[in-house]
Amino acid sequence: MTLLLSGASASLTNENHRIVRAFGADAWVVAAGSSGPFTTASVIPAARANEVAAAPGVARADPVVLFRSIIRERSVRDVNVVGFRPGGIMTPHVVRGRALHGQGETLADTRLGLHVGERVVANGHRLRVVGLVSGVTFNFGIPTLLMPVQDAQALAFAGQPLATAFITDGVPRTVPAGLQMVTEQQAIADLARVAKSGHQSIDFINVLLWIVAAGIIGSMVYLSALERVRDFAVLKATGASSRALLAGLALQAVVLSFAGAVAAAVLAQPLAASFPFPVQIPSGAYLRLLVIAVVVGTLASVAGLRRAVGVDPALAFTGA
Amino acid sequence: MSVGGGLHIRDLRIEYSSGGYVVRPIEALDLDVQSGQLVLLLGASGCGKTTLLSALAAILKPALGSIRFDDVEVTELSGDALTQYRRHRVGIVFQAFNLVPSLSALENVAAPLWAAGTNGRESRRRAGELLERVGLGDRVRHRPGDLSGGQQQRVAIARALAHEPPLLLADEPTAHLDYVQVEGVLRLLREVAAPGRVVVVATHDERMMPLADRVVELSPRADRESRPPERRELDAGEVLFAQGAPGDLVYVVEEGEIELARQLADGGEEFVACVTPPGYFGELAPLFGLRRSATARARGRTVVTGYTPHDFRQRVGVDRLAALISGN
Repeated sequence: MTLLLSGASASLTNENHRIVRAFGADAWVVAAGSSGPFTTASVIPAARANEVAAAPGVARADPVVLFRSIIRERSVRDVNVVGFRPGGIMTPHVVRGRALHGQGETLADTRLGLHVGERVVANGHRLRVVGLVSGVTFNFGIPTLLMPVQDAQALAFAGQPLATAFITDGVPRTVPAGLQMVTEQQAIADLARVAKSGHQSIDFINVLLWIVAAGIIGSMVYLSALERVRDFAVLKATGASSRALLAGLALQAVVLSFAGAVAAAVLAQPLAASFPFPVQIPSGAYLRLLVIAVVVGTLASVAGLRRAVGVDPALAFTGA
Repeated sequence: MSVGGGLHIRDLRIEYSSGGYVVRPIEALDLDVQSGQLVLLLGASGCGKTTLLSALAAILKPALGSIRFDDVEVTELSGDALTQYRRHRVGIVFQAFNLVPSLSALENVAAPLWAAGTNGRESRRRAGELLERVGLGDRVRHRPGDLSGGQQQRVAIARALAHEPPLLLADEPTAHLDYVQVEGVLRLLREVAAPGRVVVVATHDERMMPLADRVVELSPRADRESRPPERRELDAGEVLFAQGAPGDLVYVVEEGEIELARQLADGGEEFVACVTPPGYFGELAPLFGLRRSATARARGRTVVTGYTPHDFRQRVGVDRLAALISGN
């Protein structure tokens, strides 16, 4: 579980980087004073894209519309809607079907389970899925519908020519009045802020799971030590040093922890597929798991180790 | 295996705390055992046989006295020297075998060798030899649960001999065996009591006496004979008998007062009773062959008469004895 949660946490971080880079923007421009392109509640007239494009350092600027919506496909599902200008700065990688050619078309993330040619209703608007994209998710793995900016404006603003941000080709040295520039890193941070509590929850649960694991390993070693008190007494009485007993029992804890970690590593991949959100377990997490498991297992066994080492060898003389 | 030396015990006192009272199962014990001898520590349960074995194995520290084995003063061992003594000088055959159930016979015998740092292959070779020696060469892979009581005891003896120790201690080695199995174990114990080794066997079974070169009775013997009453005149504060001493006579107070007090583990004393004429006291220890459970001390000038249990029984009447014992 802890491996899967680490994967979920890493997946969230990766997701933020991936979605921001998917826009292909050198920089973002949003309404002055707003929080960022993914969380802003401010809108800007889409026509101001021309002003941004004219700013020094900018070769081109496209309006984008980002908002949360739902689709009714067998059941109600949350989606992120990204309105962009086809043929512009943002060029989504289509894994099946084709790119957008005009209004009324959408590209759906594969996690939505839609098929090319299928019709989907978002905010009462019917759109035809012409292509599928993969890994275009944000806000905790919520899949995205990509559509022409006009369709997104129709869904979000009743057709008013508004945008939530502009993406630029080139980094503006200055921005027009009432607007502010957001770098790629700031855009990622904007998304990360939303996911912060999620990250914290995952980390907290992770710590709890380690505590539970430590409790289980510690209990097992302690019970094992209790069961074998007489054996330890006999070994001590026959000349086994406390150090040797300590090493033996500590080794047992390490082997137990290590075996548990290896089993977890083997089971993690198949289990990850059944999780409701993307889980990408970083390779470093496996090594970290093994190291932490061994350390936690050993520390958790301290009570058992103390019990074994503290056994009075005279106990070996007691009858059956 | 070293030759010569032997086991020498001087003025040994072993005491421990039980239920808040001081219990002194071994008091003023002197014993000399030569190499090659088999000594039987004989006595009833609770008389201190196992306690004495624990002290010989340097597992229990005596309160007083000396245990010297060959050139080693056992009572002064500590730290690494203690581990080395237990590892190389003493082999112990525990009551109820105390084999590790998860290990095979071979592994049980090899365990002390591993613990001493002998490499795995050599330990197994040596363990195999020892199991052959005790007649279990065909049972090396068996776990204790798959062996009979006699076979388990032989594995335990093989384990005790792992380091060829010059001192072998066996605690009730026949307690859990039937008579067929006992034979083999007795033969084996007698066989290992060869020159260069002292074997000390603790048992309550008097039938083992022919096995021994020496028998040490640790339980006071109840005196079944009649002998003239013993009159004692005591000054104030004089101790008639101390707690832990063997009980031989039952006393009747003729004059004065006797105070009975029990020694506590914290060093204090607990008042038990004050006996005045024509009361009697100290009847249970001699009747049952126990040690005194309290100290008897004269409060002022006091005269008492001691009777053997036999004479005391005659004096009070056999039919009243049960009532006296139960305190009614």
